[in-house]
Amino acid sequence: MDIDRPLSANERIKADSRLLRGTIAEGLTHTETGALADDDTQLTKFHGFYQQDDRDLRAERGKQRMEKAFSFMVRMRIPAGIVTPAQWLAIETLALERANGTIRLTTRETVQFHGILKGNLQSLMQGLNDVGLDTIAACGDVNRNVIATVAPWRRDLHAVIGGLARDISAHLLPKTRAWHEIWLGEEKVAGGVVEDEPILGRTYLPRKFKIAIALPPHNDVDVFAHDLGFIAIVQRGRIVGYNVVVGGGMGMTHGEPETYPRTGDVIGFCQAKDAVDVAEKVVTMQRDYGDRSNRKHARLKYTIDAMGLERFVSLVNERLAVKLEPAKTYKFTSTGDPLGWAQEDDGTAHFTLFVENGRVRGRMLTGLHAIAELGLGRLVMTANQNLVLADIPPARRADVEALLAAHGLDRPVSGLRRSAMACVALPTCGLALAESERYLPDLVTRLEDEIERFGLREDEITIRMTGCPNGCARPYVSEIGLVGRTPGVYNLYLGGAHEGTRLNKLHRRDVDGDTIVAVLTPLFEAYARERTCGERFGDFVIRSGVVKETTAGLNFHENLAADLEN
Amino acid sequence: MQTAPLLPNTAPFQQEQIAALNRVISVSTAEQRAWLSGYLAGLQAANDPQAGTPAAPPAKRVPLTILFGTESGNAEALAGQARKVAAKLGFAPKVVDMADFSPAQAAATENLLIVASTWGEGDPPQRAVDFYEALMADDAPRFEKTRFAVLALGDRAYAQFCEIGRRIDERLAALGGARITDRIECDLDFETPANGWIDTTLERLNAEVGPKDVGASVIHVDFARPGADVPTRARPFEAEIVEAVRLSGSRSSSDTHHVAVSLEGSGIAYEPGDSLGVVPSNDPALVDAVLKAAGLGGDATLRGALTEQLDITTLTARQMEDFARETKTQALPADWATGRQIIDLLETAPGALTAEQLTALLRPLPPRYYSIASSRKAVGEEAHLLVAALRYTSHGRARAGVASVDITERHRAGETLKVFLRPNPHFRLPADHERPIIMVGPGTGLAPFRGFLQEREATGAGGRNWLVFGHRNYTHDFLYQLELQDWLKEGVLTRLDVAFSRDQPEKRYVQNTLWEARRDLFAWLREGAALYVCGDANAMAKDVHAMLLRILADQGRQDEAAAKAELDAIRRDGRYLRDVY
Repeated sequence: MDIDRPLSANERIKADSRLLRGTIAEGLTHTETGALADDDTQLTKFHGFYQQDDRDLRAERGKQRMEKAFSFMVRMRIPAGIVTPAQWLAIETLALERANGTIRLTTRETVQFHGILKGNLQSLMQGLNDVGLDTIAACGDVNRNVIATVAPWRRDLHAVIGGLARDISAHLLPKTRAWHEIWLGEEKVAGGVVEDEPILGRTYLPRKFKIAIALPPHNDVDVFAHDLGFIAIVQRGRIVGYNVVVGGGMGMTHGEPETYPRTGDVIGFCQAKDAVDVAEKVVTMQRDYGDRSNRKHARLKYTIDAMGLERFVSLVNERLAVKLEPAKTYKFTSTGDPLGWAQEDDGTAHFTLFVENGRVRGRMLTGLHAIAELGLGRLVMTANQNLVLADIPPARRADVEALLAAHGLDRPVSGLRRSAMACVALPTCGLALAESERYLPDLVTRLEDEIERFGLREDEITIRMTGCPNGCARPYVSEIGLVGRTPGVYNLYLGGAHEGTRLNKLHRRDVDGDTIVAVLTPLFEAYARERTCGERFGDFVIRSGVVKETTAGLNFHENLAADLEN
Repeated sequence: MQTAPLLPNTAPFQQEQIAALNRVISVSTAEQRAWLSGYLAGLQAANDPQAGTPAAPPAKRVPLTILFGTESGNAEALAGQARKVAAKLGFAPKVVDMADFSPAQAAATENLLIVASTWGEGDPPQRAVDFYEALMADDAPRFEKTRFAVLALGDRAYAQFCEIGRRIDERLAALGGARITDRIECDLDFETPANGWIDTTLERLNAEVGPKDVGASVIHVDFARPGADVPTRARPFEAEIVEAVRLSGSRSSSDTHHVAVSLEGSGIAYEPGDSLGVVPSNDPALVDAVLKAAGLGGDATLRGALTEQLDITTLTARQMEDFARETKTQALPADWATGRQIIDLLETAPGALTAEQLTALLRPLPPRYYSIASSRKAVGEEAHLLVAALRYTSHGRARAGVASVDITERHRAGETLKVFLRPNPHFRLPADHERPIIMVGPGTGLAPFRGFLQEREATGAGGRNWLVFGHRNYTHDFLYQLELQDWLKEGVLTRLDVAFSRDQPEKRYVQNTLWEARRDLFAWLREGAALYVCGDANAMAKDVHAMLLRILADQGRQDEAAAKAELDAIRRDGRYLRDVY
């Protein structure tokens, strides 16, 4: 880190915040505005929420003598995405009563509420707390929700990685009581008590930090797209330890090639008992070496590329009680969710429900309400924004099947659609440059028409869209990536690995929907005709020379077609 | 055409002179009559200075108490009118608010004129409740020494039309009072019948108890009232709309507009708290539908009358009776009118009326009153209105508020509205600029308080200002939000509390906010704050009133009766003021 460069504004805000309190509590009393003070809107991220405004309404507000239509997006902390039916019902009630009536499942196995008014924040937080849920550190410069492969049908293994997700999340949680004070009205910490943040530090991390745990052969969590990943190594039916992956991350900025997405590097293996310590030490490395001057260069991926991977690993090892061993072999085959029913030997069943773009509303909301009211098993949110109804006893499966059918939740979907993922984008996300969630379903419908002609309906080709280059839907590790530039206009990326191990490459810049369809159609046709046995679309476009292979984040912007060079 | 007032046969002239004068007067204009009376008075004064001074009061003027119970101010205005007429007749009139009077005091009067309005579903005006209840109580005093007459105000659109006036009239008679004249019951177009009744009643009373030696020099001159230059309901001012903006967000469930009109050249000089009367036109599409239902082609005259002069929406029990009689159909039950309008009635026997029968059936189109949302000190010769367009469906038909939709939908900037002033002397800022005020104004009830805040900002008044606003949705219905934010920032507004009813599962209204703020509210009141309430009369104002009593009891650690006494005292002190509708 260059110590001569000034700290970013956020570093001052954090330092002055009295461990994330700022003036949030006072801001809640200002009923004349639906917004919070500017600095506080940075701090609220650590409490799990973003201030947003309805961008569809911006134009009319001034004339109406009203401020922007402010509301908040609240994201929960749900390690491994597991909730009980009672918790699901509470989430639903809060969504209906305090938010916009929908539940948004995210790519990081949690739930977002949208459209919450300032006056409803406390009630929402208290409602979550009442059922043992919270939003602490769901956003902000901290370790965020820890996600894990969703495979309850591999019951014992899933229990282990779910437990690790909870342990890491708890261990890395901020120690400040600010959340409890502001949202639950907990007594303020008495003057004599010195709060501290022994792991994160009093100014927390330089930037967000994401951890994922994968259970091969499933890479549903995109373990290479997070700051820190653990790949479970199974021997004789049990998890003996984890390969450690560092330095993944999606975000970049258009027109700034020094920003880039990066797939993580496998740096070794740790015993299962040491995994939490590994997480802590990688986090402290980022705490101490991350760039606190330039937030666009602050993720762990840049820290590693700046100091070199080898040096980074040696410094991590210096901090670890037990040094990393050489990595073990593993193999990923997919990133998608197997939809529908899966059954265990004893008859216990799990149903994976396709949730388009993770948005639960309308009939799906009422259907899930009815199913949750049965009080069976658990619900698990997947990294593909789907939902698994897990641990259904054999005797009750028929009840669940009946409710799924009654609410139309058991309809088949095409391979392309179930492999599609979009971020929220407009109208609420302040970063969005183009539509995403509201547009991708239509685009997929158009592409489905083409795909059917070539007999590819059941082929799973990952297609991911985001409204901006920050990459919430992990577009750079998809076979077809679409990243918003301006309304109606996207950059088209091709050639990511289906199993999430390789970044894609820019293929067309600034294309609209018609052009996207026109560009992809002949590629689908060629793929159907020329693919080798088992060859994935992302591999095919590289083999056939449509795009060059991206081998590392640092060459993501290189080897573009001649007409794309800046 | 309205006929001019004629000289009564009792005028101090011979019969043929009366007839000759009446021939002239009957075709005169108001201006001509005003000129003539002024000329004659001036001539007399010039020729005989002694006669020009008012006649010396009779040695013993007869006392007359004019008691009013008002909510909107109409009853009070009529009481004032009666006082002028009575004074000219030589009485010693005194105007009293029922709020400040007891039945015992009333029973002690010899001559009592009562102007009583009925509110909502047959209720007395809020400030008259105590008087009314005491009068109806078993221990009410006898009125044997009292001559009385009752002028009842009401709205035929309500089933309990003039209920309060009727019950007071019957009660006074039952308690031994002697009627001077029969009660009159006035609808919304009360001016002409009410003034006529006042003249007749006072003349009759004068004949019975007045001074017997009324000299010829006491002339009852009925100048055109009020002054000829100021726009009135009958002669409204054509005010140009200079700005018309919808304030409600595009996803709001309400439709509220900011409408600024120019009063330049109108002579209207309003004070914050006053209302502007707007003379609306009916929806041309509804006029067509009414004509169709009546089976009439509708020439230009009829169409014009239905558009500009007659009320074609309200439906009263009396109209249903009249209609049944005219059409020889079965009369509908009175409650059939609920949620229905004239057109529904016409459709029960389509094409059964002549044009004359139709116009005879209809009431005059009343003006609508809007609390002015501005101060002239801030906006010059403009008046700002906050107009919520009323639209609803009942009995399967879409209905629309006559004036609110006329103003907001059928008028654009650059066009004109017919307006006149209705002063509201009971809803003014404190004379003391340092006095704190609390303003409770949900929905369009915010209007006068925007005027108050503009005024207090312009005058640099030092008093603290606390506003309690409410509506349905924070995001879409926060009227004048940016202006209120600025006033908070500048310190003009000391405190703002809001209640939005539909943003959370539990309904939240302004009274809930008052309860939450009860400590401060109580402190402000004890420190002399004036409390203003503006908006819906039926639910909001009653709920706020009940909440104020509860807060005074709770915070003052006193029982209900003591809380009520305290609120009464605050009201008598002119610190609890309402403009509700």
